Amino acid sequence: MPENPPDFPKSRLSRCVAPVSGRLNRAGALGVFAGLLWLPQAGLVAWLFAGLLDGTAGSQRAALAAAGFAALGALRAAMLALSDRWLAEAAQSVLTGERRHLLEREGRRSPMAPGPGSAELAALAGEKLAALEPYILRYRPAFLRARALPLAILAVAFWKSWVVAAILLIAGPLIPVFMALVGMAAQEASERQMREVGTLNGMLLERLQALVDIRLLDAGARVAADFETRAESLRERTMAVLRVAFLSSTVLELFSALGVALVAVYVGFALLGTLGFGAWATPLTAGEGVFLLLLAPEFFQPLRDLAAAWHDRAAAMAVAGELAAAEAEAPVTILGQGAAVAAVKPAPGAPAISLRNVQVALGEQTRLDFPDFDIFAGESCALTGPSGQGKSTLLAALAGLVPAQGRIEVAGGVLDDARADGWRMAVGWVPQQPHFSAGSLRANLRLAAPEAGEAEIARALRLARAEDIVARLPRGLATRVGETGAGLSGGEARRLMVARAALGQARVVLADEPTANLDAETARAVTDGLLALAAAGATLVVATHDPALVARMGREIPLGGAA
Amino acid sequence: MRPLARIFALIWRTERWSLLRGIALSIVVLLMGVSLLGLSGWFIIAAGAAGLAGAGAIFNVFGPSAGVRFLALGRTAARYGERLLTHDATLKALAALRVRLLTGFAAAPFPVMQRFRGAQVLNRLTSDIDALDGVALRLVIPLLAGGATLALAWGMLALLVDPRVAAWSVLSLTVGAALALAWSARRSARPSRRAEAAAQAFRTRAIDHLRGRAMLAFAGQLESSATHVLQADARGRASRLALARIERRSGAMISVAATLSAAGALYLGAELTRAGAMSPALAALGFFATLALAEAVGPLRRAMGELGGMRDAARRVTHWLPQDRAEPRGRGAPLAGAALRVIDLSIANGPDSPGLTKGLTFTLAPGEIVAVTGASGAGKTTLLNTIAGLLPPRAGEIRLSERPLADWSEPGLRAHLGYLPQRAALIGGTIAENLRLAAPDASPDRLETVLEAVALGPVIEAMGGLEARLGEGGRGLSGGESRRLALARTLLRRPALLLLDEPTEGLDRATARSVLAGLRAYCPEATILLAAHRAVERDWAARELPLDGSAGCGT
Repeated sequence: MPENPPDFPKSRLSRCVAPVSGRLNRAGALGVFAGLLWLPQAGLVAWLFAGLLDGTAGSQRAALAAAGFAALGALRAAMLALSDRWLAEAAQSVLTGERRHLLEREGRRSPMAPGPGSAELAALAGEKLAALEPYILRYRPAFLRARALPLAILAVAFWKSWVVAAILLIAGPLIPVFMALVGMAAQEASERQMREVGTLNGMLLERLQALVDIRLLDAGARVAADFETRAESLRERTMAVLRVAFLSSTVLELFSALGVALVAVYVGFALLGTLGFGAWATPLTAGEGVFLLLLAPEFFQPLRDLAAAWHDRAAAMAVAGELAAAEAEAPVTILGQGAAVAAVKPAPGAPAISLRNVQVALGEQTRLDFPDFDIFAGESCALTGPSGQGKSTLLAALAGLVPAQGRIEVAGGVLDDARADGWRMAVGWVPQQPHFSAGSLRANLRLAAPEAGEAEIARALRLARAEDIVARLPRGLATRVGETGAGLSGGEARRLMVARAALGQARVVLADEPTANLDAETARAVTDGLLALAAAGATLVVATHDPALVARMGREIPLGGAA
Repeated sequence: MRPLARIFALIWRTERWSLLRGIALSIVVLLMGVSLLGLSGWFIIAAGAAGLAGAGAIFNVFGPSAGVRFLALGRTAARYGERLLTHDATLKALAALRVRLLTGFAAAPFPVMQRFRGAQVLNRLTSDIDALDGVALRLVIPLLAGGATLALAWGMLALLVDPRVAAWSVLSLTVGAALALAWSARRSARPSRRAEAAAQAFRTRAIDHLRGRAMLAFAGQLESSATHVLQADARGRASRLALARIERRSGAMISVAATLSAAGALYLGAELTRAGAMSPALAALGFFATLALAEAVGPLRRAMGELGGMRDAARRVTHWLPQDRAEPRGRGAPLAGAALRVIDLSIANGPDSPGLTKGLTFTLAPGEIVAVTGASGAGKTTLLNTIAGLLPPRAGEIRLSERPLADWSEPGLRAHLGYLPQRAALIGGTIAENLRLAAPDASPDRLETVLEAVALGPVIEAMGGLEARLGEGGRGLSGGESRRLALARTLLRRPALLLLDEPTEGLDRATARSVLAGLRAYCPEATILLAAHRAVERDWAARELPLDGSAGCGT
């Protein structure tokens, strides 16, 4: 979206609320109408006090005025509640839409590409996006009321007394000027604060995941102190935002309080006859005085509401800015949608994978070239080379997890968006750093084969030589595994990944350093498992520098060096 | 309610004076608002009466008009001060609470710590504490200040206007507000708990979805997983809408109570004036003051909507707050190489786990390098965890420098015992920050030396030196490089006893050999016990200690 940078957050924010703008305007109009009901309420009160002063008020007028005041007040409350309801619904639908949008985009970001951390993204999708809620609930209706209500009240006041109208007019318009100044400062401060919230969460998440290391290094007190410093800095930033917000509403309250005071003083003097000007033909009556006094606070109230909601706007603006920034750079995405489709299986005897002039760019500095080669279906081969030559990146490219230049063909067709999903359904992936999602070990194993029964799971575990791991876990397959498989050793986690590939009946297995964590005996067992998959017809590609593993593969494809 | 009270007690203890001043200022603000409108109304009607009576010239206008201006300015200033004080005090107290909580997590026993799911713990720490900011700001302070204001206003109105008007105004408002608040507190407990739970679930699932997206893509479940995440949000949305409805209704109830209260004050004042019991000006004072008094109960509305969530958050947070206890300090004399003696040791992963090895007895002389060998699952890692003091031995004894492990203070033990666990975690930040976790005051030279020792010097150099930044969880380094950086971090303290769990995992043979040689050169006198399965590691050790799951091995 090529827009001017200063406009960025603003236009992004209006894009956020565009789908619900109709409902927002209706709610705003109802709020304005409810506000106007104050005029007849004030009129009734003034009418009663005028009668009390000149002695013309009977018990009927008292009852009528009080009952009318109460009835109009109840109607006003009901209308505001209805308006709030529309606003709440609109806010929730905006939140839901934005969250979906963000997850869909970030979920397809290539795992190999640099990008914001998961915790930071979750913070953006969660509590940061929630900042749009007060903007919609409070700022938008306050903005509409501030545009309409003061003008209406000013007109009615002018009809009764031009001096009162002049007082309101002078105190009123100064307010937007102050607020514009204050608002600009508030937005900047609140942008800083939002950034800090994201980093603080990311930092904390990492410290917590490293708690064991921190204990071993006796760094607990230091980490706590370090965190305290960060938390303190967050508090200072929050206070900076609040101070500006409070200042803006204080300026406003000052003007509105002085406005009300001036109206009261002017009306008082006019009634005493000290000031003979200001009203039209006849001198101001006491009833009119009461009416004007009741109008004065309501003239300022919408402006005060707007000021109170100003930092809601600033916070929403900051979030919109972050959304716009996240969308500005096109993410390096995986190929395909990651949807469940029919598997694209390589035909026996034909090349399962072939590479021609392939290059992968990760960020600006890292650019990796790979040699041309073909891997035939049913073959087992090792991609070898010293650390840092891009073995893992190549495996990811073969799986369509990172886009590559040049030509990668899989199962007889070019690996592109259309083909990637089906291809991956045929691939079993054994990553270097296993990730376990929340839930039981059973659920994790069945990810690629949701219908698999206990017997099939047992078979897959046996194939990967991983039965003993499950037998040792206190709750077996029902054990809840941690985020990165905490509680399991590195070797155990890897073997469970091989079991998962076996359970998914993968036709092609891509394994990144499958023997790296294992002792010779277990490494041999896992290699046996991988080769058992290969013997059943699966194509096997491992990235490794383990000579024992290389020796057992059908072929070695060296990467790097001169290639 | 007890956890909520405990949280407030904590906030109160840290920031008592700021909070007291905040409450006092808050009462001042409310009373000045009531006085401002009441005085203005009285002034206008009194002036009107004087004008009608032709007594305008002798009416004292300066007192009331000065009063109106004073109240207008004073209220504004008091409001600003009150907001700053209470917000600052709350945020300070919450920051302190966060740190206490982190300390509580860090003191958890190893098996618990190991199973922490980072995202969940993070949820507790951030959103729970954020949810607690309302305890003082929106619950206790408005409740106390509003109650005090209503009581004081009753007295003032009874004295100045009429006891009946005073009673009606204050009681109708109090009863109406109390009913609305009690109703909403009861009704909102469940949806607010659900909204909170859904928000937590959304966050956990979102992190899971984003971290595990590669695995999900292979299962063809990237889309269905995104749907799963969004389902949490949809549940949250339903609860948030239910909460908004309750808040809206209780708000409407309070508004109606305020309107009825003002209408009643108007009617009572009018009737009393007609009966000659008071002047129209005092009736105006009563009515306008009642109108302004609604501000004393309005702010509680939001607190009630949040009550359920606050209660929940308080319960979880207090569960993790550490109990104060004294840790033995002192590090003891520095040791060059420590002797390790293990006597008749039985080990297990936890109290409920099956025992792994029994009757293990061996000794390591100072400076010796010994490799623990055995198949995966034989208990190599558990043995190291037990010697490192992370797991209690099931039976038997461990002595470090002839002193039983149990007698070592935690800092003392960590100063002499370095342990590279199997899954050492790196943190986002610079290389130097990662290393300085172990030695905060280490000079850049010292850091570079240790990086050279693990053959990382050229790699880090190419990345831009010590200040090069790593991503989340140390991303930006290959598996082998992360391993070596974690090793460097362990070596930096030059421990007397080094426990290494597969130190060269993920390294090619040549690199592994040079890392082990560099390690020995860096800590020439350290006693080293390593869990090994690679030939290169076994060859490096002076002897092997086979763990075969049966009893009694070696020396």
